[in-house]
Amino acid sequence: MTAQRRTTALIGDDNRVVVGGKTLTWRTLHKLPQLPSPAAVLVDNGADALAAVRHHAVHGTELLVATSSRVDLGMREELGESGFAVVIANGDEHSVTPAKLKRVEESGRVWLLTSGSTGRPKRIGHTLESLTTVRGQQQPRTWLVPYSPGTYAWWQVITISLTQADQGLVVIEPSDLETWPMIAAEHGVTAASGTPTFWRQTIYRDTEALAKVPLEQITLGGEPVDQAILDRLKEIFPQARISWIYASSEVGASIVVHDGLAGFPKTWLDRDPQSVSDPESERPILHVDGDELVISSPHHGAGLEGAHRTGDRVEFVEDRVLITGRLDTDEINVGGSKVSAGLVRNVLMAHPAVAWARVFARKAPLVGRMVAAEVVADPDLGPITDADLVQWCTTRLPDYGVPRRIRFLDEIPQKETLKSDV
Amino acid sequence: MSELTRAQIRDLMGEVMKAQGKELPGDDSADLREIGFRSLDFSELALRVEDEIGDELNFDAPGLRQIAKVGDVLDFIEQLQSA
Repeated sequence: MTAQRRTTALIGDDNRVVVGGKTLTWRTLHKLPQLPSPAAVLVDNGADALAAVRHHAVHGTELLVATSSRVDLGMREELGESGFAVVIANGDEHSVTPAKLKRVEESGRVWLLTSGSTGRPKRIGHTLESLTTVRGQQQPRTWLVPYSPGTYAWWQVITISLTQADQGLVVIEPSDLETWPMIAAEHGVTAASGTPTFWRQTIYRDTEALAKVPLEQITLGGEPVDQAILDRLKEIFPQARISWIYASSEVGASIVVHDGLAGFPKTWLDRDPQSVSDPESERPILHVDGDELVISSPHHGAGLEGAHRTGDRVEFVEDRVLITGRLDTDEINVGGSKVSAGLVRNVLMAHPAVAWARVFARKAPLVGRMVAAEVVADPDLGPITDADLVQWCTTRLPDYGVPRRIRFLDEIPQKETLKSDV
Repeated sequence: MSELTRAQIRDLMGEVMKAQGKELPGDDSADLREIGFRSLDFSELALRVEDEIGDELNFDAPGLRQIAKVGDVLDFIEQLQSA
């Protein structure tokens, strides 16, 4: 099995990799010295992260890769106590803090850290095989890599390039995020994956620059995906395939939707996994319990077999199942009437002059909680006032769902994970 | 930021009413149901006050009371500010 993995992984070894301003291939990336195993490799740039992945693909050593900013001193201690040598990689230089616990390595194991949006990041075990969910023959593409190294979304793009021929990468460092369309256009990026916040921010900053990127495949994930952003991207890239993916470190890439619509068809719920035409393809089982999405996925992390409660809330809208947000924050109870923050956000973001919105509950007398919002207006289509938006929402939402307090922000907030905690 | 005066609270209450396409009468004894000032409007007013003073109001501090007239709203918000 190990031999098969290594052979598969290196199919993309001659793919073009643009990183740190240099055009290389996986094969010609700088080499890290022989890494201890297990090792947690903490990086500050994309080149070191890719070098760590190739080292793993060649040697099969147990690996966790993450940006150093995501792993604080306390977590480094925990990693050491769990048997990881902590390696701070920086080009040809690196420092190694030996593991405090000696244990046998798990050959071929790759560890991911969850985003930590629901608490302290957890380690989820995978392998290159379980992370490689795109297996069919792909058209030749050059992929943008805007994601933070070590996240599930990052691994999704990386494994495509590592395991398939003609799948190049253009790595965007955090310092280049604001100008990525220019870099992408220069290097002929044809496929890009990002969060809805990432796409909104790009459109907000410079739609013209974005339109010059020759995108054929656009993918959204990591946050609830609303119809407005899908439609806006379709306007800019009418010929591109626009897909959204539901994925997490725990269940892998479980839902992939290509029809240009938000949500997924109700008919996908509780499907028999054996009824697919291709018996070799594995399909997750999607289920809704109460209003929580439950997934049994073939792409799950180690030890997470069977039904996994995702903590994500869904709503049924006509024949679609919309994923509206986290279960513990999405539902706002306004004086006994319940409203989904995600659906209110969708209404706000459907306003032509709104570039981004966040909807949340505010404590209030009499009704307990009220719906409030933060909004970034599109400067080309403004100005708009809070009264305009209240009016817009009043005609589309029940009165208790209308955000009564709306604050305008100057720019779209974005974290290292490309999310904005909506 | 300092507490709002009763007049300032009344102005904010007028803004809440105006956003609903209604008008706040000048008489403190006006009945809230008759002028269409509902619980959501009251809650919005409290949030507007919070935003103005830059602090959260302590809703639990004052005892429960009937709020039926415009003056009751103004009394209650004043009391919340000093709680």
